[in-house]
Amino acid sequence: MKWDWNAVGDFMPAFWHGLLVTLQVLALGSLVSFTLGLVWTLLVRTPLRWVRWPVGVVTEFVRNTPLLVQLFFLFYVLPEWGLTFSALATGVFAVGLHYSTYTMQVYRAGIEAVPAGQWEAATALNLPRRRTWTAVILPQAIRRVVPALGNYVIAMLKDTPILMLITVPEMLQRARLFSQQHFQFTEPITVIGVAFVLISYLASLLLRALERRLVR
Amino acid sequence: MLGGLAALGALGAAGCTRVAAASGKAGGDLLDRLRAQGVVRLGIAGEVPFGYIDKDGRLTGEAPELAKVIFKRLGVGRVQPVPTEFGSLIPGLNSQQFDVVAAGMYVNPERCQQVIFADPDYQMLDSFIVRKGNPLGLHSYRDVVAKKAKFATGTGYAEIQYAVEAGYKEGDILIVPDQVAGLNAVEAGRVDVFAGTALTTREVVRKSAKAEATRPFAPLVKGTPHVDGGAFAFRPAETSLRDAFNGELRKLKKSGELFRILRPFGFTKAEMTGLTAKELCGG
Repeated sequence: MKWDWNAVGDFMPAFWHGLLVTLQVLALGSLVSFTLGLVWTLLVRTPLRWVRWPVGVVTEFVRNTPLLVQLFFLFYVLPEWGLTFSALATGVFAVGLHYSTYTMQVYRAGIEAVPAGQWEAATALNLPRRRTWTAVILPQAIRRVVPALGNYVIAMLKDTPILMLITVPEMLQRARLFSQQHFQFTEPITVIGVAFVLISYLASLLLRALERRLVR
Repeated sequence: MLGGLAALGALGAAGCTRVAAASGKAGGDLLDRLRAQGVVRLGIAGEVPFGYIDKDGRLTGEAPELAKVIFKRLGVGRVQPVPTEFGSLIPGLNSQQFDVVAAGMYVNPERCQQVIFADPDYQMLDSFIVRKGNPLGLHSYRDVVAKKAKFATGTGYAEIQYAVEAGYKEGDILIVPDQVAGLNAVEAGRVDVFAGTALTTREVVRKSAKAEATRPFAPLVKGTPHVDGGAFAFRPAETSLRDAFNGELRKLKKSGELFRILRPFGFTKAEMTGLTAKELCGG
């Protein structure tokens, strides 16, 4: 096996572009999954059965089908019904939606872990329902689940290469295109491998710091 | 004795490449091994009409059908397909996943540095897949650049180079897995144009209500129109297999049998060629 530093140099411009796309997907995907996840959790807690059930069915369905199948569905099937989004937008939405069905469970655990006394106190103070949620329950619940949410960010990072299959030019796609053109595989694949380790590690450091600040 | 030493030297020089890739005998002994096994593995890219698996699960296409005939004459009775992506054909060949690339691959200088080619069995022009009626009026790579059209082609396709040569920014090219995904991208409006060989594009738009193929044209290479030739590719060490293959191919060309084998796949007399791999490998 030969290692060619020139190939690394040649790959770098493409690599930076790929890194940018990967981070973009990760940031936007996290945002979508955190938001949607919270929406799902709150919806399945409503007393209205005709809201609770459909949301439960949909999220169960999404969680129990492979991300790749969802990705292909959104990218290849939706356009047939006249709904076309860019590859990047499709990718962000697919990752965000898929992971929102996991984060909803994280939020649920957080909400259920808020002591019953807090609910009772809110009732005793005659707080409106809305204030109970926004000022009492959610702040405590979300604090508790930040580490668990962080784990999903890292899992999401490791799932971003799947987007290559719908032509999103993230890191792995860039490495592959470079390899096919220059017939050098070792260098670009190694570079992105190292990049994934570094990003995951930095993200976990960041999360630990955040955890120390939030969970006391 | 000397031969033995040379073989040892060759092995030493090859370093840690796999032994099979650098067998002792000059020109490689792959043909002997294939004869002993009775089967040759063909790398195909699932591209109609070059090499693909048909509705009944049977391997067919221009290149595999030709391979069946030629390898039978060389004493190898059976062919076995190994489907992969077009862009993975050369790496797959060099990493021993199959013995021959039978995908009607264009011969070009970059590829000649990685593999050796038999002489082309056909010649071919390029064509675009565009939306019905060709709203942007795209007929060449120059048009694509001038009209700022969104351009797509397949992984590892020679068309990437043609577009770049016409002035298209390489980073802006959308690379799709194959021609069906390319058709889909045009139909969905993600791109304006997908470039491929005249035959592939003609075949793939056949069932499409929203897209059509443009009239075939010769891409410009260094300012002059360039006609491509597609051929079988072999690992660089296997020159004796390549030469034996070329010998049989030449006979098929002379007898006109080649045209009879290729005609069912939409090839015409215009695609029969006297080009050689050497000419196309160029400098």
